[in-house]
Amino acid sequence: MTDTLKLSLDFKGLLCPMPVVKIAQAMKQVQVGESVEAVATDPGVMADIPAWARTSGNEVITLEKREKDIRFVVRRLK
Amino acid sequence: MNILLISQLFALAGLLAGVYGIYRRYLETKHRALPADKSPLKGNPMHGVTYAFTVGMMPWAKESTRIHMIAYLRGIGFHVGIFTAIGALLISPFWGFLPQPLALFLVAVLSLGSLFGAAGGVMRIAEHNLRGISLPDDHFAIWLTTLFMAVTALGVQNEAMRVPMYIIAGMTLIYVPLGKIRHCLYFFFSRTFFGKFFGRRAVFPHPEPVK
Amino acid sequence: MTETIELALKTLESQLNQPLETALEACARCGICAEACHYYRAEPKVEHIPAYRSEQLRSVYRYEHDFLSRIFPTWTHAKKLDETTLAKLSEMAYSQCTLCRRCTVNCPLGVDTPLMMRAIRAMATAAGTAPEILVMLADSAIEKGKDPSFFKDMFLDQIRDMEVQMRDIMGDPNTTIPVEKQGAKILYVPLAGAHTILPPAIVFNAAKEDWTLSIFEAANYGVFLADVNRAKQVAKRIVDEANRLGVKEIVIAECGHAYASYRWDVPNWFAGQFDFKVRSLIEVLAEYIRDGKIKVDPTTISAGVTYHDSCNLARNGGLIEEPRYVLSKITTDFREMTPNKAEALCCGGGGGLVALAEYTDRRLAAGKPKADQIKKTGAKIVVAACENCRLQIGDLNEHYQLGVHISALTDLVVRAMRLPKPLPGHEAEHLFEGEKAPVLGD
Repeated sequence: MTDTLKLSLDFKGLLCPMPVVKIAQAMKQVQVGESVEAVATDPGVMADIPAWARTSGNEVITLEKREKDIRFVVRRLK
Repeated sequence: MNILLISQLFALAGLLAGVYGIYRRYLETKHRALPADKSPLKGNPMHGVTYAFTVGMMPWAKESTRIHMIAYLRGIGFHVGIFTAIGALLISPFWGFLPQPLALFLVAVLSLGSLFGAAGGVMRIAEHNLRGISLPDDHFAIWLTTLFMAVTALGVQNEAMRVPMYIIAGMTLIYVPLGKIRHCLYFFFSRTFFGKFFGRRAVFPHPEPVK
Repeated sequence: MTETIELALKTLESQLNQPLETALEACARCGICAEACHYYRAEPKVEHIPAYRSEQLRSVYRYEHDFLSRIFPTWTHAKKLDETTLAKLSEMAYSQCTLCRRCTVNCPLGVDTPLMMRAIRAMATAAGTAPEILVMLADSAIEKGKDPSFFKDMFLDQIRDMEVQMRDIMGDPNTTIPVEKQGAKILYVPLAGAHTILPPAIVFNAAKEDWTLSIFEAANYGVFLADVNRAKQVAKRIVDEANRLGVKEIVIAECGHAYASYRWDVPNWFAGQFDFKVRSLIEVLAEYIRDGKIKVDPTTISAGVTYHDSCNLARNGGLIEEPRYVLSKITTDFREMTPNKAEALCCGGGGGLVALAEYTDRRLAAGKPKADQIKKTGAKIVVAACENCRLQIGDLNEHYQLGVHISALTDLVVRAMRLPKPLPGHEAEHLFEGEKAPVLGD
């Protein structure tokens, strides 16, 4: 997975829908098969990122709640 | 058949064509769907409609008309002139019976209306923003109606001007449903929809503070 | 004619009802709507006059529908729709109009320019030229409705965490955040994010309300796309949830477009299946304070406070006096912006603009009149009861260095409730100390 990780982003403090907007923009900068990692604090991402990934041709590889933030990794599928 | 009668018949034909054209427009628009609003009321749509046609038309009711007070009043004067000209035209066979002061008053309203119209026509050409949003239709319509008022004012005083007056009147009335002048019909639709929308939502008339 | 153009024109035809035709026909092009528009105020040019914008759609409409325009198109600038025109129309409707309706209330004829901009948005959405991100956000909301199981457990985990936090703040171990509670009176629909769940949950608990939290969010990006089909699918999640739980009332979070759509549009979309009262959280706050269901300390916030009227809440929603009533009970130095209420200036973030990163510069430029208004009040706290407005004013705060604190109304009410502990993540504490400390900034 780490081989394909191309971008690491910080969405801390951003509120809905900005984490989805920003990750959607970031996915355009990577090739199919490559991944983007992001860290956010808005708990809304726990539902919004998987839902967005399902409809936009991306795959959520990791979505983990940590002590102070939420980390997720998304791979571009098409 | 003399030329005056021909011009009068032309004006009458114009009136009939204009009324028919506007009526057709009315039917076409009424034929379109009108979505029923089933959302629960917060205010009163009819109060909104009343507001839209009365207080809401006052020059102080809107920021835009407060900023452009002179232009708005000019527009009001212009429209009063047009409706006066139509009214005057309809009673033109009886002008001989008009008391002199009333005839003079009519001439004054029509002259002012045509002056306001000419001012509007010049502004449409001279003012950058107005020029930018104007269509050939707009320029034509304002000068045509201005001319209509001017010749009607002249026609009230001078019998020799009646033939051109009837011809210009006929042209104006024929043009009403064809070009921008038909907004005279849509004004009523628009203010009604405006009133219903904002009245239902208790935006206009302005709500009372919560107690 | 390409398929794209055919779709766009077909959509225009399907939209063409009495109000739209009236809007297309009524304009006299007097131009006095210019200053009503925040885009024009920020950058006065012909392209920013609302009448100019609507003319762009009228050109297409006239070509299709007007007798004189068909035989003499130059006379009325009538134009056959092509790909280039559609792209221009689409960009204009999504980036140069926030659908705030300020031009409408300032028009002597009441021309509904936003209705025309919505028609263009609908045409663009049908033809596939609408901004991709808005489509994505609407579609992901629909996806959540289709299968809530993929996020529900995570959501419930967060709610349990929030419950712990709430009990700590309120000093009451018996408070709860009920989710999917059958037969509750109120279904509260938040936005994504704890900031729209925790403060209202505190208020509902303090008022001893019979309520339950929705698992969905109130935002509806289908509305921005003017795509009734998508918007209905997004709304259906909440309608179904409310029906399933048998609630009496739906209360919408502090969100402008969500309130306007659930209060004024959804009852029409779901006529016959929608028997709920819809209120904004603002109205509920006003009721609780008025009826003494929650106790607030009127001296809590003594720094200058101003209120931004969201266009969807005030001009398009009728929530004008309710937030002012609430503020009158919790602040001692309330300062109105000028103009305000139904005449309030749009902040520039409406119509889905805050989600469109490609138009950020345009959005910030168009927000300057609002920034100037805020500055003029001298207030230190700007209250906005709409998420998009708060995001935009937050950006304006940074861009124009306003130095203000931006707050939701509920957050201020919670502060005024003088609970044992403050809400988490609130900066600018010094502004809220009321009588206990000198007021800063005066």
